[in-house]
Amino acid sequence: MRIRLLHTESFRLAAIYTAIFVVSVAVLGVTVLAITGSAMRQQIVQYSQADVAAISDGYAHEGLHEAEEVTQQLMVAAGHADFVLLQQNGVRVAGNLPPMATRTGSIEFPSPLTPDHVIVGVGANIAPGLYVFSGSDLVFVSAVQERIVKLLLWLFAVSLLVAALGGLLVSRSFVARMDAISRTCRAIMAGNLRDRIAVRGSRDELDNLAIIINAMLDRIAALMDNLRQVSSDVAHDLRTPLTHLRQRLERARGEAQSPQQYAAALDAAIASADEILSLFAALLRIAQIEGGARRAGFAPVDLAALLQKTKEVYGAVAEDAAHALAVQPAAACMIRGDEELLFQLLANLVENAIVHTPAGTRITVALKEDAAQVTLLVSDDGPGIPPEAHGKIFQRFYRADAARSQPGHGLGLALTAAVAELHGGSITAAKPAGGNGVIFGVSLPRSE
Amino acid sequence: MESMKILLIEDDREMADGIAQTLRGHGHEVEISGTGTDGATRARSDGFAALIVDRMLPGLDGLTLVRELRTDGINTPVLFLTTMSGIDDRVQGLEGGADDYLTKPFAAAELLARVHAITRRADLRGETTLLKGAGLEMNLIRRTVTRAGHPVTLQAQEFLLLEYLLRNVDKVVTRTMLLEHVWELHFDPRTNIVETHMSRLRAKLDCGLGGEIISTVRGTGYILRAH
Repeated sequence: MRIRLLHTESFRLAAIYTAIFVVSVAVLGVTVLAITGSAMRQQIVQYSQADVAAISDGYAHEGLHEAEEVTQQLMVAAGHADFVLLQQNGVRVAGNLPPMATRTGSIEFPSPLTPDHVIVGVGANIAPGLYVFSGSDLVFVSAVQERIVKLLLWLFAVSLLVAALGGLLVSRSFVARMDAISRTCRAIMAGNLRDRIAVRGSRDELDNLAIIINAMLDRIAALMDNLRQVSSDVAHDLRTPLTHLRQRLERARGEAQSPQQYAAALDAAIASADEILSLFAALLRIAQIEGGARRAGFAPVDLAALLQKTKEVYGAVAEDAAHALAVQPAAACMIRGDEELLFQLLANLVENAIVHTPAGTRITVALKEDAAQVTLLVSDDGPGIPPEAHGKIFQRFYRADAARSQPGHGLGLALTAAVAELHGGSITAAKPAGGNGVIFGVSLPRSE
Repeated sequence: MESMKILLIEDDREMADGIAQTLRGHGHEVEISGTGTDGATRARSDGFAALIVDRMLPGLDGLTLVRELRTDGINTPVLFLTTMSGIDDRVQGLEGGADDYLTKPFAAAELLARVHAITRRADLRGETTLLKGAGLEMNLIRRTVTRAGHPVTLQAQEFLLLEYLLRNVDKVVTRTMLLEHVWELHFDPRTNIVETHMSRLRAKLDCGLGGEIISTVRGTGYILRAH
């Protein structure tokens, strides 16, 4: 289904602009006509007044004969649409108009010479019984106005054509780009999650939209990949304990003879079930943290107090496991967060170090502050993690030993990453500068 | 443990029967209610020693039920049952007035220990300044402990551990209960936190002062015996 041109936003805009243009031109035309019409009438009246004054002057200085002379001259000078009349007691003395009613001042009347024409001019009694009229046929004005209207119509037609063509071109390019976006979206809906919208690099609104949609698609694709990975990992990681469970139950049924043997087999089966449940619990907890709902319960947390608690809870545990746990004292350091989860983050990192490093390893927990963020550092001087794994260990189910010989479900570090992200921070693993082992850094933004 | 009358408000029939069987097996009297509305009515009328309330219930949900009971001044101890996916239910349940919570699925021994713990003697609950039992005296203000009159010096974590054991004297406390109530850890640690601190506490308490007073209950937890 193609986006139809007439329904596009840019076409609608072009149509609106055209309508505004049409109305403006019409208003402009009417105004111009009114102004020119009234100006030209005024001009006619002024000329006519001058004519009447000249005839009147002639009469005043040299009598009726001179007035007649002036009238004759004016009549000769006048074009075919200009009129003068000098009449004495209802009889024409000179001029090109028939005798008429002796109205004075600025007057207007139908032309007695040409049907449908109107004459405008000035009439005056220059002496008792002596009447003068001078005026013009309005056909002049109409002719000028007609030319103006024609010119405006031409201009209007050309502008309209340009506007329509421009609108069409803009709409077509807009439609073409929208079509491209729709096509890509449809391809993605059909399952091709790798498709992306072409970006022209013009940095306009459509380009920005395309960039945002592409970023959104990247995020969705990453989540989908993660989901796919997790689903297959869950299936894989569940198969082992479920297989053990099944074997134990089968063996109990086949081999157990005494109540003690049955009890032992059932205990083993329960342990297998617990292992599966603990895997589910860890997965659900990570999913819940990633959901972000716990942000609603954020409260001020003193990280220095959490460090102190880490020392109190794990100092003895580390000692019993022949590890040395050193927690560097820190001044009170408040951030907004979830205390329970932040402690679990620290606990996971410390336990990770205790479980995965040999006896004699030194574990250090420290807090580093700067203006923008707070960093929790948990480091050990154990054998370390291969550098190529530093980025992967925070993925769910990732384990440094592919054989999965070590106990644990490989979700502890994924949970720490989820907790860091929930707080708007991040977690990284690196090799300590000039030393062995691994250093985990959890950067948390300071609260405003 | 003397026999108690317990009201179980749980709509999952199989779960309810399992819990009831466990409790009855230990000499308790159990009534089962399948809906929140019915449960709320019965919780008000009869003299129950404890209520076990599921979070998800038809009619009236468990959280609202506990809140309404507490608002109406009914202070029967409540054990709140939540699911694995409802981590926030725990916080809400405790804030709503539940005395403890338990996440499904759970071991029978865990359930028993929790029910017994919430019904502990009133004088061992809340604001006391002096705890006594098993020849021990614990001053909660001065943070001191004596055994048979001799002072015992404890680390902060060991003190909290002993306080919890003393408040639940003669009752089994599970490893999970200790993790949750002493260390406020709501996850399963991969190290022996409980065992480590327990062995240090025992060593300090037993140091030339007499016999073992904290016993291990195999596969379940620990018990501090008064005598």
